[in-house]
Amino acid sequence: MTGQTGFIIANAPSMSLATIWLSAAGLIMSGVTHFALAADVSANFAPNDPPGEWHSQARDYANTRYSPLDEINAGNVKQLRIAWSFSDGVNYGHEGAPLVVGATMYVVAPFPNVAYALDLSKPGAPIKWTYAPDPSPLAIGKACCDAVVRGWAFADGKLIYNLLDDHTVAVDAETGKQVWRTKMGNVENGETMTMPPFVVGNKVLVGNSGGEMGKIGWLAALDIGTGKEIWRAYSAGTDQLVKIGSDFHPFYDWMKGKDLGVTTWPADMWKTGGGAAWGWISYDPELHLIYYGTSNPSPRVPTQRPGLNFWTSAIFARDPETGAAKWAYVFTPHDQWDYDGVNESILVDLPIGGKTRKALVHFDRNAYAYTIDRVTGEVLIATPYAYQNWSSGFDAKTAMPIVRPEMQPKPEVKLSNVCPPDIGGKDWQPSAFSPKTGLLYAGIFNICMDVTDHRQSYIPGTPYDGMEMTRHPAPGDNWGEFMSWDPVTGRKAWAIKEKYMTMSGALATAGDLVFYGTVDGWFRAVNAKTGEVLWSQKLGSGIIGAPMTYLGPDGRQYVAIYSGVGGAAMVSKAMPGFPARGSTLYVFSINGESLPNGAPTPTTTTGSAGPNPQTNQSGQR
Amino acid sequence: MATRATGRSMVSALRAVSIIAAALLASYEPVAGDSTAAAPTSGLPPEAVLASLPLAELAGAVRDPAGLVVANPFEGDKQAIEDGHRLFIAMNCAGCHGYDAAGNMGPNLTDKAWRYGGTPSAIYQSIFQGRPQGMPSWGRALPAQDIWKLVSFIGSLGGSYRTGQHQDWLNGDHGVTSTAPEVTTLEPTFNVPTLREADKPPDTPLAGGSPTPAPGGTP
Repeated sequence: MTGQTGFIIANAPSMSLATIWLSAAGLIMSGVTHFALAADVSANFAPNDPPGEWHSQARDYANTRYSPLDEINAGNVKQLRIAWSFSDGVNYGHEGAPLVVGATMYVVAPFPNVAYALDLSKPGAPIKWTYAPDPSPLAIGKACCDAVVRGWAFADGKLIYNLLDDHTVAVDAETGKQVWRTKMGNVENGETMTMPPFVVGNKVLVGNSGGEMGKIGWLAALDIGTGKEIWRAYSAGTDQLVKIGSDFHPFYDWMKGKDLGVTTWPADMWKTGGGAAWGWISYDPELHLIYYGTSNPSPRVPTQRPGLNFWTSAIFARDPETGAAKWAYVFTPHDQWDYDGVNESILVDLPIGGKTRKALVHFDRNAYAYTIDRVTGEVLIATPYAYQNWSSGFDAKTAMPIVRPEMQPKPEVKLSNVCPPDIGGKDWQPSAFSPKTGLLYAGIFNICMDVTDHRQSYIPGTPYDGMEMTRHPAPGDNWGEFMSWDPVTGRKAWAIKEKYMTMSGALATAGDLVFYGTVDGWFRAVNAKTGEVLWSQKLGSGIIGAPMTYLGPDGRQYVAIYSGVGGAAMVSKAMPGFPARGSTLYVFSINGESLPNGAPTPTTTTGSAGPNPQTNQSGQR
Repeated sequence: MATRATGRSMVSALRAVSIIAAALLASYEPVAGDSTAAAPTSGLPPEAVLASLPLAELAGAVRDPAGLVVANPFEGDKQAIEDGHRLFIAMNCAGCHGYDAAGNMGPNLTDKAWRYGGTPSAIYQSIFQGRPQGMPSWGRALPAQDIWKLVSFIGSLGGSYRTGQHQDWLNGDHGVTSTAPEVTTLEPTFNVPTLREADKPPDTPLAGGSPTPAPGGTP
């Protein structure tokens, strides 16, 4: 078993359900006969914010991270230079993307989660206001994977984000004054919050972290005006808790039944079963459905929780008004390797089997790339995008990966070379989509693990985890790769191998460019069609943030990226040359040009021992 | 409502921990030459002494109060190190500090960086009391013997300080033998019971040669 063998299914309605086995090297099957043409794959860019602005982490509901700006393009990208930079002075991992609304940029630092508004109308983008929420330091030691924040949102004149100690805050975007602050959980029990809120209408959607600490996962909706909770849907428990009712229609029979969030667990273990909703949310305004994934089950030692462990390592489609589940699909039933299902789902419409399907594309941690019908939850394509050896194939009829029995961990027995490792073929770092190429772009991993499971006792506030691991590169010796992916055929179009992990988000632009960063600190621009690397800049620390682009008040296009390694990238910290931590936002423009006028250039004086002519008597300039 | 939920979960937490600890202790089968079989139930350092350990340097002029030189009662006991290692995994310490104890969610326990002191008694105190960045307090959940065994295991990893080396930790001396002459010749003498005359706080307002802050100015 090489792990490089791919398996493609195509369940077009015109075809009988069948598993078709073929090599990733490229046999052609009916229904999947060509690489997508740009025109074939499209996305809805609602809410259609002004082209030069960036109001939510992925810019649009569909999670494309696509910007219509093209002033910076393949022709001039080589002239990109640093225009200005900003340090928040915090040395935890920097995982979010700055937002730009009008002439203001909004950033939030990792713990203690200080927010800054930067005035883009002035040279050097000085601080307009600062908001310090003072979260509990207890949270630092309860967050599994560094004291990070993955993003923040702008809506209704407010900057909205989650504090690591389980509070959601809304801050007046003009003044920096707190509007509301809602306690969502108890940090002392091991629950934290790291995901970016996602706003649909008047509802702020937030979820928890803590799947490594035995916290049951949930997603909640808060009123954007008051912060009052409207609904909360759990990832395990009774149908009532999971918000499964008469509207719930999963595509596959094995996900149908009463209270599966209870019956797929040993007695009561769902209560400490994980399924945290710590990743991304997308939204289809026409179907009026949200999509998000759930984390690994707890404890991570599978022999302690026989059963399919619903609804962990899964995806839900829900009605944002009520939280009612419409459908669900479990990516990794009875997950034994920590393959959280929280990665982003990009909503695209694409042709399969002669019909245009409303789909979502999801690169799961289990190393399969899924193209799923977002109306019904039917899996249209599932093929590996990264090296994997935990499954021997994919059953098209059930849409279940076929587990290799020898890759199932047993307590106190070391199991070598399991691929991908706990952090997956790709972790939470978000991919991008370009309607000009029809391709998705993602930083992925090429990593395996040696794992020994240890039996766990549940002690609140401590890890309910049990996986002792070492990670090493999969064949090829490169830890990272940046790839483009055709969601119609389930194949890579091109790939760039990176020695260090590629754990940054991706940005696609109308300038036919794609941007990404590496854990050793290179920020790159790539030709979106060919994958040719056009420009690279070394930054101060490793890059695990998400690039974005905006138009300044001066009419120039800028590209911004945080540099500050941390988070799950620390699994590779023993690599020679692994960078130190950092806290700097870098902003680039063509030739580094920025607001040319009005910069307060101080006057230089020479040979004078007298009073500084620039200083008045009160000592103030 | 929220408070009640917290109270309930704390009670269940302590109950769960007690059961686990009892199970672990029950599994300690005495073996030949196992000094654990004769683990001291008396002869442990008094909790009051340990609880009085300061986290920071001492104000005034007293060096090495009794609490700072409390030794691990299991000093030199190899079985205690093994028991401590088992506890380190069973009580989920490894989940935070790493199975190699080299740090993960929680800090590295194998190096010389000890935020709250690196001597056996200081490490005991950190486990007993907990620490504010997420370290739980185990004093109510684990018997003193088990905490000392955890200290034994951590001590075996090579990064911690030995009994009596509290000042070395405070001053960042990792046991390097070379010391500049000024350190021993020009440092003020400790154990001076009274303040020097010149250091005494004035009992009258400053006057004479002292610059007087301008009215409304910042001193």
